[in-house]
Amino acid sequence: MNFITNPDLSYSILGIKGQNKKIMKLILAMIRIDKMAATKLALSDVGLPSFTAMAVLGRGRGRGGVEKVKGENPELADLIQEMPRLKSKRMITLVVTDEKKELAVETLIKINQTGKSGDGKIFVIPTTDSIRVRTGESEDITLD
Amino acid sequence: MYLLRAIVRPEKSTVVMKALFDAGFPAITKLAVFGRGKQRGIKVGNVTYDELPKDLLMMVIPEKDKDFVIETIMLAARSGEKGQFGDGKIFVTPVEESYTISSGKLD
Repeated sequence: MNFITNPDLSYSILGIKGQNKKIMKLILAMIRIDKMAATKLALSDVGLPSFTAMAVLGRGRGRGGVEKVKGENPELADLIQEMPRLKSKRMITLVVTDEKKELAVETLIKINQTGKSGDGKIFVIPTTDSIRVRTGESEDITLD
Repeated sequence: MYLLRAIVRPEKSTVVMKALFDAGFPAITKLAVFGRGKQRGIKVGNVTYDELPKDLLMMVIPEKDKDFVIETIMLAARSGEKGQFGDGKIFVTPVEESYTISSGKLD
């Protein structure tokens, strides 16, 4: 398919056409490694099977139990690093249509919540377009 | 809120993270990436290296701290006084919502 000779398609790829275009959402979730299997299952059950996962290292506001260890063993206080360690996490990225944003966030929270610190974060970022490489189609049709 | 994505030299990522921690921004995500920039990689004789190892640091920060955090990252990630090619880039993306999974609440 030639995008240059098809003005409709080339406009949609350049993003010029989109006056009435809906904005989609990129969802970034950092989760525990051992919740990956449950998350995959839950996401495909609610009809959002496509996602990308990455192995990342991260830290949050928590100190990973450092304060507790210091309180119990004051003599070890000098040995404990000032900076909290980075912990292994999985980062899941998925792009969803506006209507399915709530569903995706709710599912991710329901599956990954243990109530302890270190459960992770979810960020919602507006995205303007999505293109299927195989066919050159763009917008919401590529997210079904 | 803004998502900052900083691409820095791997040997500088510890320095940047220490600077951010001292400035009061402990939360960060790090991943190893490969890439090239404006200089199209490094040319040694006939060989071009265009997949240079870098670290991608990601953090989400409130709007009011944006300029301060960017300044902190830039000062820490720069090599030497004036900086060098390959010191990296910082990209800023708006974030609409942020949830903490453990409490299930919108921040």
